[in-house]
Amino acid sequence: MISPSTTPARFLDPELLARIGSLELLARAVVEGFMSGLHRSPFTGFSTEFTEYRQYNPGDDLRYLDWRLLGRTDRYFIKKYRADTNTQCHVLIDTSASMDYAHSSSVTKLQYAQFLAASIAYLLNRQQDAVGIVGFSDKVHTHVPARNRTGHMRTIFGTLSMLQPGGETRLAESLHQLAEILTRRGIVVLISDFYDQADRLKEAFQHLRFKGHDLVAFHVLDQNELDFDFTDPVLLLEDAETQEQMPVLPDVVMSGYRERMRQHVNDMRACAAANHVDYEMLTTKQPLDFALFSFLSRRAGR
Amino acid sequence: MSFLTPLFFLGVAALAAPILVHLVRRTRARKVQFPALVFVRQVPQRTIRRRTLQNVLLLLLRCLAILLIVIAFTRPFFSGGSAAKENTAAGATVVLVDNSLSMRRDPLFAEAIKRAEAIVDEARNDEQLVVLSFDKRYAVVSRFTADKNRLRLAIRSISAGWDGTDYEQALRGAESLLGEIETSGPKKIVMISDFQAPGWNQNTATFKLANTTQLTTIDVASNEPVPNIAITNVEARGVVFGQKYLDNLAVHISNFGDTPRDRIQIDFQINEQTVEKRDISLNGRDSKVIEFTGFNLNEGANRCTIDVVSGDFAPDNRFYFTLRRETPAKALIAESASRGRSDSLHLQSALTTNDDLPFTFTLKSTGSVDPSGIAEYALVVLNDAGPISGALADALIKFVEAGGQLIVSTGPRTTADSFNALQRIMPASLREAVQTKAGESVAMTNVKFDHPIFEVFQESGRLAAAHVIGYFRSEPTATATVLAQFEDGSPALVESRTGKGRVLLFASSLGPSWNDLPLTPQYLPFIHQMVRYAGARDENSWYSLGQTFTVRKSANGQIPPVDTPGGARLSEGRNSPDGDLLVTARELGFYRLRYDGEPGFAAIDTDGAEGDFTKVNFAEFVAGVSGGTGTGEGGDANRNASGEEVEGRQRVWWSLLLLALLLLLAESVLARRTKMVKMVG
Repeated sequence: MISPSTTPARFLDPELLARIGSLELLARAVVEGFMSGLHRSPFTGFSTEFTEYRQYNPGDDLRYLDWRLLGRTDRYFIKKYRADTNTQCHVLIDTSASMDYAHSSSVTKLQYAQFLAASIAYLLNRQQDAVGIVGFSDKVHTHVPARNRTGHMRTIFGTLSMLQPGGETRLAESLHQLAEILTRRGIVVLISDFYDQADRLKEAFQHLRFKGHDLVAFHVLDQNELDFDFTDPVLLLEDAETQEQMPVLPDVVMSGYRERMRQHVNDMRACAAANHVDYEMLTTKQPLDFALFSFLSRRAGR
Repeated sequence: MSFLTPLFFLGVAALAAPILVHLVRRTRARKVQFPALVFVRQVPQRTIRRRTLQNVLLLLLRCLAILLIVIAFTRPFFSGGSAAKENTAAGATVVLVDNSLSMRRDPLFAEAIKRAEAIVDEARNDEQLVVLSFDKRYAVVSRFTADKNRLRLAIRSISAGWDGTDYEQALRGAESLLGEIETSGPKKIVMISDFQAPGWNQNTATFKLANTTQLTTIDVASNEPVPNIAITNVEARGVVFGQKYLDNLAVHISNFGDTPRDRIQIDFQINEQTVEKRDISLNGRDSKVIEFTGFNLNEGANRCTIDVVSGDFAPDNRFYFTLRRETPAKALIAESASRGRSDSLHLQSALTTNDDLPFTFTLKSTGSVDPSGIAEYALVVLNDAGPISGALADALIKFVEAGGQLIVSTGPRTTADSFNALQRIMPASLREAVQTKAGESVAMTNVKFDHPIFEVFQESGRLAAAHVIGYFRSEPTATATVLAQFEDGSPALVESRTGKGRVLLFASSLGPSWNDLPLTPQYLPFIHQMVRYAGARDENSWYSLGQTFTVRKSANGQIPPVDTPGGARLSEGRNSPDGDLLVTARELGFYRLRYDGEPGFAAIDTDGAEGDFTKVNFAEFVAGVSGGTGTGEGGDANRNASGEEVEGRQRVWWSLLLLALLLLLAESVLARRTKMVKMVG
């Protein structure tokens, strides 16, 4: 089991990381710092590994027949291996205008998503996995196909740093679109604030799952989106995406909002669980290693 | 709705206070970007809306409360007119059109006619209207009718008159007409006038409209002061007996304007010949009396005029009056013969020192008087006459009953019994003679100084200084009037009328026998006044328009033809019981009475007060005459005055203040609740 170490997390604090101009350096700092803090693990890597024998059944591929054992014992056994871990991984980043929000932290949700995506990409690349990046808001606007070539990471980091917030969130539609684009099975890491209806997302998740993708969902929120903690007696809230304005008495609205937000998170969690999607809710104040631990621990179970 | 003190509407500015407080204290919302409002929108916004609503409601409550207070201070009232319109049943309306002399000012009368027609036009088709014109009297121009054409014709038939104004009479007439008609609708009186102050006297007014009668006043005159110099009165003795007019002819001239006037020229003419001219000055709202005397008069009737040369209201610039110079009538003084010594020496002297007395006197002893010749005298004075024969007594009784004047004085020769035969005509029955003790005397008391005989003594009161040492106690008859008494209460001078004549009894002597009156300066005026009173005729030197004057029969018993001032021959008139003609004056100027030989004249003048165009005090007027609701339309003063009365009755401001108080109460409850909700929230 992977567990976070007591390594000083200050290097993984998003607000500190934000001072690092280069995403590559940031990702390296995160992943190296994170990796060096891991305890010993029974896992040695993600390469092909033997797991067990089983008796040969007619029709089995003869390539997996253990000829040596046949020579010694005259018995037909088939060698079984773990699945190939050099897989494709696409990191999907929601770049809608709602992601450009920072209240409790100096890091916007989009920045946090960029850090997280860079770190995951770096981590996967280090394991020789092919990594791609997809940016979307109301539609997919950025797509870097998954590669594990030398220098690909530079493209990844460059693309990530170029992502700009804007547009409305149409998460479900974008996921349906990506399900059609990503033809090869792989891991899909989705980073978004998930301002969409759970039932619509459910269908999108099912679509991706149907295409054979493993789905990891990071629900990134600012802490204030959960708390709705404003000191002003009255506010004129403006929707970041629609520019709709609404006068609000925070002290009056707060409890009702919190209740609805909690319900939304629960719905998302339930929706993810129902579709075998690894779901994790993160706030922009949380250190990035928390997210990486969550990612790795969930991937280790597969 | 009208307002009594609309200036208080300036208080509406106070509304700025709550609005400013509302704006200043309102928290200005900070604009904050938020990722998505989807969940905020799902929170019920009722609380927010309610609080916003509460704030707006609070503002409205405060504003409304202030507004109501301001309106209450303006003292609003609902005019009766609108209330009447709301009444579903058609009512009855009396339209009173003032056609008095003052309405001749341009364009008042035309405006009054126009307003009257407008009232007819605006009336409901089933409303019963009646039109009255009025000055000092009222005249029904049309009976109650809903026929608007007929009403318009009736209104157009009214012409401006020459008489004064009496609003009370007009309202009486209107009220009595309204009493004749039965209607479930409102009963209204619309009075169209220039509303002169002299037309209504609060102190003497006794009439009030019924509570159900609604009075609307329409003032067609402006509220600006109107300058006017007018001759309001001429005091003259209408009949004189000498060539010269020795009394003072007093002319009253008034300036009804506010500004002083200098060099006002007054012309006095007799028979169209200027007798005298005067220049006078008058302060604003001032009056002056100028006197003329010593001018000569022709024999018979003299037509006199006083003119004020002024560009103001013309009808009151000339005053007409007559002065008649007559030949004195014959009078007889009968006394007791006393060995050739006359007791009437003082009396005779007094009566011959003045040639402006109505009589020429003949002195005879009682015994030498021919009873059959009594009728040729106009006045008989029995001066301590002593015993009277039966024949003379009968003749005197007939003389008095036929219109003769009899003055009786007592004295040492008088016996009570000697007057028994005259008891029928005497104002008192004589009792016993009273002689005071030597050195003592009594005085005359309880003198009626308002009587024509004594009015000249009113200021001095010196008549009481006469010492009376002898007199007859007497018992006045029921019809007699005691004009003066002695100190013991016995009548000193008593008069009574019998038939057409009159008898004066002086219970002491007219000579020095029983009193020292002939030795005092009061004697001469006393005797003159008594004789003038006896010879006085019921003839005015002028009459007011509308008054009735008498045209007496001529010597041959015929009533003379009468020409109006306009030159027309008078055809109307009624006769008195004596057969004289009674003529009601309708035109200004001289009526000519065409007696054979010598014509007579009757001078007719306007009501002097009619030249005063000061406005009536509407508050007092409406309060004084209106028993029900009264409203004013037209002039501002009119509207205000009427409104004050109506407002006083309606007291709308009370309700408004009460409502404002309730609103402020509700505001404080709501404000407290809003605050608590905010604290809990």
